[in-house]
Amino acid sequence: MIAMMDSLRNILVMIELEARRIRHDRTELYVRAVQPVLWLVIYGSVMSSVKLIPTGGMSYIAYITPGVLLQSTAFVSIFFGLTIVWEKESGILKKLLVTPASRYSIVIGRSMAAGVRSILQAVIIIPIAMLIGVAFIPNPAYFILAFALIFLISAGFAAISIFIASFLKTRERFMGIGQAITFPLFFASNALYPIELMPPLLKEFALVNPMSYAVDAIRGLLISGNISNLAFDISAITIFVVVMLAIASVSFKRIIE
Amino acid sequence: METAVEINGIKKFYNGKVKALDGIDLRVGAGKVFAVLGPNGAGKTTLMRILTTQIKPTSGDASIFGLDVMKDDSETRKLISYVPQEMSVWTDISGYENLLIYAKIYGIPAGERKKLINGMLRTMGIESFAGSLVRNYSGGMIRRLEIACALIIKPKILFLDEPTIGLDPSARKTVWEKLMSFKDENGVTIFFNTHYMDEADIYSDQIAIMNAGKIVKLGTAQELKHSLGGEIISFGIEGKISAGAVKKIRGIKIVTGATADENGLRVFASDAGVALPRITDILEKGGVYIKEVSIKKPTLDDVFLKYAGTKIETAERVTDIRYTRDRIKR
Ligand SMILES: Nc1ncnc2c1ncn2[C@@H]1O[C@H](COP(=O)(O)OP(=O)(O)OP(=O)(O)O)[C@@H](O)[C@H]1O
Ligand SMILES: [Mg+2]
Repeated sequence: MIAMMDSLRNILVMIELEARRIRHDRTELYVRAVQPVLWLVIYGSVMSSVKLIPTGGMSYIAYITPGVLLQSTAFVSIFFGLTIVWEKESGILKKLLVTPASRYSIVIGRSMAAGVRSILQAVIIIPIAMLIGVAFIPNPAYFILAFALIFLISAGFAAISIFIASFLKTRERFMGIGQAITFPLFFASNALYPIELMPPLLKEFALVNPMSYAVDAIRGLLISGNISNLAFDISAITIFVVVMLAIASVSFKRIIE
Repeated sequence: METAVEINGIKKFYNGKVKALDGIDLRVGAGKVFAVLGPNGAGKTTLMRILTTQIKPTSGDASIFGLDVMKDDSETRKLISYVPQEMSVWTDISGYENLLIYAKIYGIPAGERKKLINGMLRTMGIESFAGSLVRNYSGGMIRRLEIACALIIKPKILFLDEPTIGLDPSARKTVWEKLMSFKDENGVTIFFNTHYMDEADIYSDQIAIMNAGKIVKLGTAQELKHSLGGEIISFGIEGKISAGAVKKIRGIKIVTGATADENGLRVFASDAGVALPRITDILEKGGVYIKEVSIKKPTLDDVFLKYAGTKIETAERVTDIRYTRDRIKR
């Protein structure tokens, strides 16, 4: 019981650390918002006028808004691993490991810290989407749940990046792998087009892609209001996050050897 | 006396082949300042990482205040503080915030944190920079902040891996003065790695000289210096000394050691005044011309040279450069 409380406290401390970093320097937050906004404003408007993709009645910009939000989440979280690589190159991780904080509380805490960035990213993107005419379901409970899901899946993506960081020695290599992971997550999902339109092989990938479930959930909560799949989506996301955190905790040992 | 650190037959092979530690046995008493002195790659960091529960030895065992560092690792971590060789603070938050994060990790109650942190910042003489980003600190200030992070939890034992590497002499002195006054107040045991001789000489109660994964000599600074004999006689010579002559010199009763190379001859003797005429005699008979003679008391450098077989200064620069590079990475 005490151990549980300690771990919880340490997870919160890791999240606080990230919040403090962001408070000192917000530029990265703004810079990282540029790309998703371009997706909405340029790609979204062009494709809306073409009307090629069946969106079930929504405007195309509204249709891709959840996907763009989650792409930014994935990006932010996966590149969060860069911080871990830096901490590994310096003495920070070594020192953290000599504190009484359990190893898994460090891993979970660091992963969830990425969630803080993702939430703030969404807070920048959503008003811009509103400005260009995307209509959100005006239900505060849905918004809260959507943010909670963004936070959760962010931890899962960050755990992937900790796993990668555990066997990559340099930050340069990390950059490359980071790109190689975020792109398939984004394009082989229902973020930009319905899965039914995909060729068979891609379809199968999209069905095991956690991104698809997150997009489905957020689209239901924020855009369409159709939450009939929500329970299933949340279960899928939770399984993904728990498995990734477990893998990251195990691989974390290798980071320090 | 209570035992702070006990090490029995520790060996460590990295990846099954790089031999970093080759059988270490050691005992450090509680409340002592213990220095491990060694050149690059001697295994100092490896030993410290084993003692601080980060990595496991290939064989052997170690305990901290009676707690096994492998079996009771989480209990051990509650007693120790550690400052790694590389920089270990977050540079994108302030010094105060770094201390706050550590205070929270160690579960220091909310009501005590502020007072404790401010006190620690004052002790380390960085209170006027408490709110600035660590990125803007000098190397000496960063090191003092790192030590503050280690001291704030009042550990029973403090592990410092090259606490003053890369600092200028005055910054080094400040760091050590702060450490010593903390020790006097709190009675903490200090275990540190270094390759600065003077540091080991002035601040430690005991020194282990380490080379190639082994402890080659152990003792107080005084004992180590005495172990070379009371004095060192250095000869500048012309001509070549025969191996036989060196052997004869070593045979003189009060001589404890002699080494010869192209630059001259160094003889360790308990009494230079008595040894000198006999050595001169042997050299002259061997046809060697003595250009100059000097006599001095041995320093730790001489001790190190004798037991580790290398001069430490040459190795030192490499780490300094690496350290500086580590520091400026971000
Ligand atoms: N993680 C590692 N993997 C493989 N080999 C390692 C690792 N860490 C250290 N070594 C090797 O083990 C040996 C001892 O290294 P160690 O860092 O303990 O020495 P050191 O005395 O601390 O040296 P320095 O003065 O450079 O800090 C060296 O040969 C080093 O290359
Ligand atoms: Mg070292």
